[in-house]
Amino acid sequence: MATLELDHVTKGFDDGDETIIAVDDVSMTIDDGEFLVLVGPSGCGKSTTLRMMAGLETVSTGALRLDDEVINDVKPKDREVAMVFQSYALYPHMTVSGNMRFGLEESTDMSDERIQSRVTETAALLDIDALLDRKPAELSGGQQQRVALGRAIVRDPQVFLMDEPLSNLDAKLRSDMRTELQRLQEDLGTTTVYVTHDQTEAMTMGDRIAILNDGRLQQVATPLEAYHRPANRFVAGFIGEPSMNFFEMDVQGEQLIHSTTQSQPHEDTVTYPLPQDARHAVADGTQVTLGVRPASIEVTQAPGPVEFVSKVSADHDFEAVVDVVEPMGNENNVHLSFSEKNHTTFVATTDGESNVATGQSVIAHIPESAIHLFDGDTGEALYNRSHTDTEAVESVQ
Amino acid sequence: MLVLNRSIGTQRLLLYGMLVALAGFYLLPIETGLMTSIKTNPLSTAPFLPPGPDGLTLDKWNTAFSQLSTGLINSIVLAVPATVFSALFGSMAAYGLTTLNWRGQLPILVLFIAGIFIPYQAVLIPLSKFWAVYVPLDELLAALWGLPLLEPYHGDLLALIISHVAYGIPITTLLFRTYYRNFSEEMIAAAQLDGATPARIYWRIMLPLSVPMFAVTLIYQFTQVWNDLLFALVVMGPSEGAPVTVPLSQLGASLSEIGFGVRMAGAFIAALPTIIVYIIFGEQFAKGVAT
Repeated sequence: MATLELDHVTKGFDDGDETIIAVDDVSMTIDDGEFLVLVGPSGCGKSTTLRMMAGLETVSTGALRLDDEVINDVKPKDREVAMVFQSYALYPHMTVSGNMRFGLEESTDMSDERIQSRVTETAALLDIDALLDRKPAELSGGQQQRVALGRAIVRDPQVFLMDEPLSNLDAKLRSDMRTELQRLQEDLGTTTVYVTHDQTEAMTMGDRIAILNDGRLQQVATPLEAYHRPANRFVAGFIGEPSMNFFEMDVQGEQLIHSTTQSQPHEDTVTYPLPQDARHAVADGTQVTLGVRPASIEVTQAPGPVEFVSKVSADHDFEAVVDVVEPMGNENNVHLSFSEKNHTTFVATTDGESNVATGQSVIAHIPESAIHLFDGDTGEALYNRSHTDTEAVESVQ
Repeated sequence: MLVLNRSIGTQRLLLYGMLVALAGFYLLPIETGLMTSIKTNPLSTAPFLPPGPDGLTLDKWNTAFSQLSTGLINSIVLAVPATVFSALFGSMAAYGLTTLNWRGQLPILVLFIAGIFIPYQAVLIPLSKFWAVYVPLDELLAALWGLPLLEPYHGDLLALIISHVAYGIPITTLLFRTYYRNFSEEMIAAAQLDGATPARIYWRIMLPLSVPMFAVTLIYQFTQVWNDLLFALVVMGPSEGAPVTVPLSQLGASLSEIGFGVRMAGAFIAALPTIIVYIIFGEQFAKGVAT
């Protein structure tokens, strides 16, 4: 059991004369027994970070500590970490049993009987004991995945490192394995770092998630905290499915003004009143990004054929036209645009029973309690949704 | 339906006709050689015709075999270790230069690749000088020749083996390198994390997975070494230890006749081992070439 700490870790790759920074000054601590998910888009440096933890890449600057001991220069084989790879990376010429034995044979001087009993035990835990004499090529993807896990578990390492281990499985198997992996990790209590690009995996599996973008750490938080109180616009857009809607707004007094054309402000502007408690966070005349999650937008059918005027009676209600409806069964993802003059589109999630069709006029209600405001330049969160929500979230934790 | 069947039948017939004709075309020289070798008078009838009832003889084969037998043994003593070691060293070099990462490996790889392009002729004089003057193995290893089965001419054979191994390493390295590049980088990383040292990874992962490429290099190198005449002539000349190609080149040469029959029989005898090697490793060879 171990605590893994990254202390201002940076990784640069030489590319001719210049250095490409893959991981930029990342600091975080993965607690003993914690399941931390490292998530971000492709090329954000998450795999490089994991490979540094494994010792497959060197650390350019900064320190990597395992239980307060710097392990920057410790060889991979001496780190007591086990890794599960996306491609499973099984040894094709060895049987399942041979694959699982290999690590114990190479890294310990255990007797044959001990090794065999450890392998049998782990195989039973993963329900692959019937496959022990087969070669990887004779196994299905899901079974190979289990063998890869078994190969890591059998070594009883200090830390598990997992590099997108589920991304080669089909959707159904993936969600099953997700649950199973979580259960296994909870039973074993081994510190785990799990890399994925899939925000659903991050949300559902992690004790905490660390969001990376362009080699920089954006936020380390519990899944719900990242969802409800994103540190910046990137996190807000990355976490949550479908993504948060963003509107570029100008702050004018107590109003937020959204306009696609500057010349005819009256025909296409969308105006949103600045919430009372957000006024101190934004300065007049600046640009901000208004964010609102699709699930927070309430869509009601328009009372009748109405003129397309952006602003209707209530301050938080907006006239909109349905572009596309994506039925998901339990809910619909409704793509909306404000009007014929303002083509800004946004997505709302509605009840699966609700009856909305393409071309229909609706009223979208964006409640004041659900909005986020981000700095127009830096993307930093200026204001996150109302406190009652986050307090509820905090009490859950 | 009937019409369709008939048209397919015609096509098949054409196809097989063509295949038989091609097979005949390629086999004709071999058949001609075989017929020539078993005729009492090779020039009595057209070369590809079988001998008449009284013209059949195996004398030519006997003569050829008795004159080549020492050479055959020498060739086996030469070709087997030269082939095995050039393949093994090539595989090790490729592993070190492809799978492992270390500073300065690129210039060394370039040296290896450059070795492929050095023509035999360019090294003949340095090679003979090297073995004759600087490293005369038969003198250096004089103490060994007293042992049973060992003769002084084995020194020359050893020199030839080392020359062929050295000359074979660049091309086998390139072949293995191409093969190892397709190995999963994650698999090697997994073995590293499993605690295996580079040497253990080679022994337990790389080597067992290299069988198809070993078949390719073994066949290729065996044919190269077995058929080589130039190095053999330069390193030892027509001596006791000469491989089969040296006596083969002198077989049937006399002032009175050209000796077609003996030469043909000798050619068959000398070529047989390469064919056997191909048959043994054929299936693995196909796998290795396909990758």
